[in-house]
Amino acid sequence: MLQLIFFNVTNGLIIGAFYALMAIGLSLILNLSGVINFAHGGFLVIGGYLAYALTPRLGFWGALIVAPFLTALIGFAVERLLIRRLYGRDPLYSLLLTFGLAFIIEDGTRQIWGANGLPFSVPAALTSPLSYQFFFITGYRMFMVAVVAIVVALLFVLLRYTRIGVRIRAGTLDLETVAALGVNVRALRSLNFAVGIFLAGLAGVLAAGQIGLEPTMGDGLLMPSFIAIIVGGVGSLTGTLLGGLLIGVASGLTAVIFPSASEAVIYVMMAIVLLVRPRGLLGEEGMLT
Amino acid sequence: MTTAEHRRLAVLAAIWAALIFAPYWMPLFGGYTALGSRVLVLGLGAMSLNFLLGFTGVLSFGHAAWFGLGAYACGLTLKFITPSTPLGLLAGTLVGGIAGALLGALLVRRRGVYFAMVTIAFGQVFYYIAFQWSSVTGGDDGLRGFARQPLDFKLFQIDLLHNDLAFYYFVLVGFAAAVAIMAFILRSPFGRTMIAIRENERRARFLGIPIELHIWIAFTLSCFFMAFAGALYALLNNFADPRVLHYSLSGDFVIMAVMGGMRTFWGPLLGAVVFVVLQDYLSSVTVNWMSFIGILIVLIVLFFPRGILGLLWQRRAA
Amino acid sequence: MSVLEVRNLSKRFGSLVAVRDISLSVESGELRAVIGPNGAGKTTFFNLISGFLAPSAGSILFDGRDVIGVPPHRRVGLGIARTFQITEIFPELTVFENIRIVTEVAAGYRLRPWLAAAEKAEVRRRIDETLALAALSGKAGRLVGELAHGDQRAAEIAMALALKPRLLLLDEPTAGMGDQETYEITQLIRRLHRDRKLTIVLIEHDMRVVFHLADRITVLDQGSFLAEGTPQEIAANEAVQTAYLGQAA
Repeated sequence: MLQLIFFNVTNGLIIGAFYALMAIGLSLILNLSGVINFAHGGFLVIGGYLAYALTPRLGFWGALIVAPFLTALIGFAVERLLIRRLYGRDPLYSLLLTFGLAFIIEDGTRQIWGANGLPFSVPAALTSPLSYQFFFITGYRMFMVAVVAIVVALLFVLLRYTRIGVRIRAGTLDLETVAALGVNVRALRSLNFAVGIFLAGLAGVLAAGQIGLEPTMGDGLLMPSFIAIIVGGVGSLTGTLLGGLLIGVASGLTAVIFPSASEAVIYVMMAIVLLVRPRGLLGEEGMLT
Repeated sequence: MTTAEHRRLAVLAAIWAALIFAPYWMPLFGGYTALGSRVLVLGLGAMSLNFLLGFTGVLSFGHAAWFGLGAYACGLTLKFITPSTPLGLLAGTLVGGIAGALLGALLVRRRGVYFAMVTIAFGQVFYYIAFQWSSVTGGDDGLRGFARQPLDFKLFQIDLLHNDLAFYYFVLVGFAAAVAIMAFILRSPFGRTMIAIRENERRARFLGIPIELHIWIAFTLSCFFMAFAGALYALLNNFADPRVLHYSLSGDFVIMAVMGGMRTFWGPLLGAVVFVVLQDYLSSVTVNWMSFIGILIVLIVLFFPRGILGLLWQRRAA
Repeated sequence: MSVLEVRNLSKRFGSLVAVRDISLSVESGELRAVIGPNGAGKTTFFNLISGFLAPSAGSILFDGRDVIGVPPHRRVGLGIARTFQITEIFPELTVFENIRIVTEVAAGYRLRPWLAAAEKAEVRRRIDETLALAALSGKAGRLVGELAHGDQRAAEIAMALALKPRLLLLDEPTAGMGDQETYEITQLIRRLHRDRKLTIVLIEHDMRVVFHLADRITVLDQGSFLAEGTPQEIAANEAVQTAYLGQAA
């Protein structure tokens, strides 16, 4: 029994790490630019498929590194050409835009690579289980968690200690003042968006290794990302990280007791948070209202 | 009467004439009566959403939830409780409306993008329930086994199931009633405070208007209208599936409203016409209809945010 | 009893003191101007009186009643109306519609789904009256967002008037205006003061306006009270001159 719980909690943490990765990218974009990126799942898909296309030439490791950057580049272009025009307007429009983009990306992917799933090969060294006792913790899953942990840590370091990071954080709190101080807000937003998309692209590569490729693979991750942000608290990246892990673990734990409800439980958590502490666990009052 | 009022009445008369005689002029363009019913129902949905979005300025992106709830409640009533069309409609409207009222109380404290996120997430809760609770809702396959029942007036019956024409006029009557109530509310002092909130929420607050209360009322009203439309939709198809609860349908309604003209009363209906026709046409012509719809959305958002009617209005004012 | 009485009002933001120990009282029918060099804390002072900020210390009495803790929209109900530095109007509605909304809210009709004929007539009468007072009757059908700056400001003041306030707070009403517009707004305020006997507190930078309109002037400097008196007294006050000239130097 204990092992079952341990199994599911660990599983939950792994899924949670994944949710967190997606949610943090989404949160970055939401916080600085006030844009709900409906196409975030789409960029995950792009990341995965790009990795697939690059693997024959660069191998797994090369693809792992390059694909997210390429995805970020695409994201940068999208922001620059399309989203940027909508900043002054009602947030409805940027929401609709990303909604439309999601359609285009999904259909485009289907067009280029076909509607059926594609396999994604991962180096054998990673797929072997860690030990006999913990056979369910395959090397790949640990690898995923490790990558997420490293990247998130790097992101937090970037935000805290680099000039750009500080500007992004300040911009989240008060964009006008930051602009008044002479910072190029438009470039900042583009860069911030690209970073968020980088994370989505990375998630795509990692996901591909775990579940293979499919044009709709991003859909199932969009809602949990939203909920991670709501639970963790709008405006707080640490909160989002926490939120992602929490709902992942909750999901994992529920799978022990009540398997069919493991997806429902994250919605229940959201409802509870909204009732008891609407601003989220680490959220700040007045953010984005 | 001034010329402006004359023009208004003329336009109104034209719209209703077109709607009343639709089964007769639609076939000329390759349309058919059931398509007209579909457009009316979806148009009502878009107008219900616009009641909140365009006139109060509240960004609710999960509104399909109430539509779907209305549809399922109506279907379930017809299937398990009583074979009565009016009761099915009533049940659908009440269930969706009351659910909206309850959830609305929870959600109105937030606004802007955050509100949008939360409404989307909540909408998905219902989608998920409909999906999982397959013993009752039929799961992914959808809710079947019910059909619209004839209207029994004791002296005579109107067959709604087999008579598309009769059903179209049934829907039109319902549509007219809902639309009349909507228009009435928007013209009232309450309706004007809704518009004030849209125009400048801060200012409205500092006039002493309790914003949350007013938004909750507007939200609840729009949920009732939405649920009514959803119930009609179930009757239209004799079928309900989780898709009517999914946020992509919410997105469709938003697009209809924006495309037709968000700040106008009839815009969303026009948007529904265009959207339904386009979707019908595109999906029969190409496999990539999704890309086309996506590109259309992007173009509208970037270049025609005021929608068709909005453009016409501007043209006239200039 | 004074309409507005402020005692030892202070507001601190962390270590920054925006308003320090200010006391004043405004009598019924008086037009008080609050002036001072930039950063003197005037807008913060207004925000405290209208309820947008909570004071760190001191009391605010409106008609003898303590209003601290009463949120802004309730203070409106009590009779305090204000305008803002950046015009706050309903931009895509006409002047008429803007004033109608305020009039209906002020009459308590905000939740009503319909009005009886008599009520409609009364609302109509009040709107026309407000329009005439603000000299906007001819522009009633224009979209407020498209009006000239001066007319927008007049519309905003008209909206505040429609609330039937006991105390009207005007935050830099002539900001950003040319001579002609300044003149018109000044005339409007004067009408409100002389004909309507409204109690008005005014923040202004334009000294011509201040000296033209004010019964009494309160001068703030760096958040503290500096001087108070009639326009003549203030004009002759050396400390006031130093405060302003010191800024320029």
